Amino acid sequence: MMVRYAVFVLAAALAAPAGALAQAYKPSRTVELVVHTGPGGGSDVLGRALSVMAEREKLLPVRMVVVNKPGGNSAVAAAYLSEKRGDPNTLGLFTGVWLQTPLVSPEAKVTLKDLTPIARLVLEPAVIAVKADAPYKTLAEFIAAAKKNPGALKQSGGSNTSRDNVVRQLLQKSTGARWVFISFPGGGERIAALIGGHVDIMVIEPEEAGEHIRAGNMRVLAQISEHRLPGYPNVPTLKEAGFDVPVVPQVRGMVAPPGIPKVNVAYWEDFCRRLTRTPSWQKYIADNQFEDGYQNAADLTAFYEEFTGRMRDILKDAGVKILR
Amino acid sequence: MEILTGLLHGFAVAFEPSNLLWCFVGVFLGTVVGILPGLGPPATIAMLLPLTFSMNPAGAIIMLAGIYYGAKYGGSTTSILMNVPGESASVVTCIDGYQMAKKGRAGAALGIAAIASFVAGTVGVLGLMLVAPPLAKFALSFSSPEYFALMSLGLALVVLLAGRSIVKALLAALVGLWIASVGTDLFSTTSRFTFGRMELLSGIDFVVVAIGVFALGEVFSNMETREDATLIPMPKGIRNLLPTWQDMKDSRFAFLNGSVVGFLVGTLPGGGSTIASFLSYGLEKAVSRRKDQFGTGVIEGVAAPEGANNSETGGALVPLLTLGIPGSGTTAILLAALVLWGFKPGPLFIPEHPDLFWGLVASMYIGNVMLLVLNLPLVPLFAQVLRTPVYMLYPLILGVSMVGVYSASGSMFDLTLLMVFGLLGYLMRKLDYPAAPLILGLALGSGMERALRQSLMMSQGSLSILVSRPISAVMLALALLVLMIPLFGKFNAWRLRALEA
Repeated sequence: MMVRYAVFVLAAALAAPAGALAQAYKPSRTVELVVHTGPGGGSDVLGRALSVMAEREKLLPVRMVVVNKPGGNSAVAAAYLSEKRGDPNTLGLFTGVWLQTPLVSPEAKVTLKDLTPIARLVLEPAVIAVKADAPYKTLAEFIAAAKKNPGALKQSGGSNTSRDNVVRQLLQKSTGARWVFISFPGGGERIAALIGGHVDIMVIEPEEAGEHIRAGNMRVLAQISEHRLPGYPNVPTLKEAGFDVPVVPQVRGMVAPPGIPKVNVAYWEDFCRRLTRTPSWQKYIADNQFEDGYQNAADLTAFYEEFTGRMRDILKDAGVKILR
Repeated sequence: MEILTGLLHGFAVAFEPSNLLWCFVGVFLGTVVGILPGLGPPATIAMLLPLTFSMNPAGAIIMLAGIYYGAKYGGSTTSILMNVPGESASVVTCIDGYQMAKKGRAGAALGIAAIASFVAGTVGVLGLMLVAPPLAKFALSFSSPEYFALMSLGLALVVLLAGRSIVKALLAALVGLWIASVGTDLFSTTSRFTFGRMELLSGIDFVVVAIGVFALGEVFSNMETREDATLIPMPKGIRNLLPTWQDMKDSRFAFLNGSVVGFLVGTLPGGGSTIASFLSYGLEKAVSRRKDQFGTGVIEGVAAPEGANNSETGGALVPLLTLGIPGSGTTAILLAALVLWGFKPGPLFIPEHPDLFWGLVASMYIGNVMLLVLNLPLVPLFAQVLRTPVYMLYPLILGVSMVGVYSASGSMFDLTLLMVFGLLGYLMRKLDYPAAPLILGLALGSGMERALRQSLMMSQGSLSILVSRPISAVMLALALLVLMIPLFGKFNAWRLRALEA
């Protein structure tokens, strides 16, 4: 794995002194940044924050505006980008949903592979939380309880292809325990179900959980990340807690329409790299307890291949019909 | 005492000249986006978000909240004048509001909408100020079984929205439920009724259907009448442009009903202003002495839902500010805004940022007054729209509807859908099927299905979970009671006939 990454990095470094190539192309008019959520959704907020940062840090000669193409669980936005073949002034912000939707929905025909990868920007870790007065002090205790009473404990989360369910599937497979996964469309409802005592466990973003922990409503059993997050120095990672399952990150990154010249890719890759080094970006990442997930286009393609392969297996195990 | 000092402090914050200005900017923008169909408060707030990074947070939250509740004022305008719902929360307002306009009472309808909004909006803020923390705890005791019961209660209202035939109303509601099921199923990720169209994967937008069935249905059915351009009657004299004293008296209960129902539904993270407005309309009709006139243009039928959707704003801020849990699209983006400004919304937000909380509360009292002063004088002005000759008014409605739908999603596919639902609305009119039950079924369908499936997953498949929890049991019993209302009516009619014979 690491070797392959290293080869890619090396290849990229040898092939293109990024600075020199970036001079060859510059966006000529306002850049459209396509997001798959309506105003206020995760990608939308990131997109708007990103365009403000680009302006504040003077990273672009033109303005960047967010264009909402909601619908089809990202299929509409992906199709819109694919129709913009060769357009140098359009970009998109992708998330894990863009990878998963084409796997399970026959209508979603455009995969990330059909678009031009630019860079990965963010990795969003997560934590596993229970209500503060729950009897489980560790994840092992929860798993033991779930084993004793199969199907009685409940987890609140998003759709069955969401990271929440993937983590559950991985844990169930490696331990043999079984508990119920209940889908809620909104993050607010998921948290309300947990702290209202209607479900027993959930996967939650570290930033969101932080305030509920401080107020004494929630307790965190483990964190879904490779290393301990700065906000959770005393909580074990999954591996440290004794569960050797792959860490499933929530990814966000940038793609471009298909048929884009190499110089444009290099320009935007460089833009993302410069962006992720600005103080505004570092602060944004720290405030939200995200991980800096910068990866260039080549690495992103490799990541995509590996991630999609893994998702296929996990979703198949979860009983989801895989189409592609 | 604590509340009083908090509030005084809040007014000190809100009365700072810059904050007053931001409050005005917010409610003014809110009114404008409320009037424009399509463009809603979440989109407006998202677009303004980058501008707020350089503002002081108190001014920024005051302005963004102003957009949120201001839009609820404006939403009724096109509902009443053109049968085009300005926001999803104003769909119910079409039912009686547009009929009032057709009878020449557009001014009264617009006026009562503004007054009801003011009364209920203020009550909503009072609720937010006085009972937020305990109420948030109560709202947490609501979970899927309770939501299912609440939605069942809402759906039971279908018998009250029926016109002459209960059967036709039930059929229309079923079609609404079917439309609600289109899209990707959340639980299994299966596509349902998408006919291979990726645009349908995330379902059909409620507003597209509502505008199609109400507004375009009206336009199409008027196309075939060959009468010469008759004007919708316009009231003469400024006095007739505003609600009369009698109207105010008729709306007394509606003010109260809208305020309470709207606020309570608002505090539920799975509630929402559309459900709130339907419930308060249903409640209004259920207890009214002139049930049979609902749908023909009664003033309570406008006052109740317009009140409810304003009071809902205060309610929706309860879980947001006391727990950091957003219940709707707009509160979700307000949450994102707070995070971007560097706050940590959550259970400790109010005690740690009293300036912001009390400043916001105080500004909402001020904002509601501003909105009343802003909106009432606009009533006679807006009512002038109806002076437009019919041959121009209907194309205008068509245009407003299409621009509204396109501006919300930017999707040509949605425009096609709009036309399809316009034709459906036309056919339903021709065949005398009521439109409101269809909209009700659509508004409640997906939430109800979800709540039922969640409940059954919680109970490992046992239906008893729905009746073993007290809140849910009570609401289901109420739903049954509502379903029996027409039977009582029938029984009464039969008894009267028997007595006469």
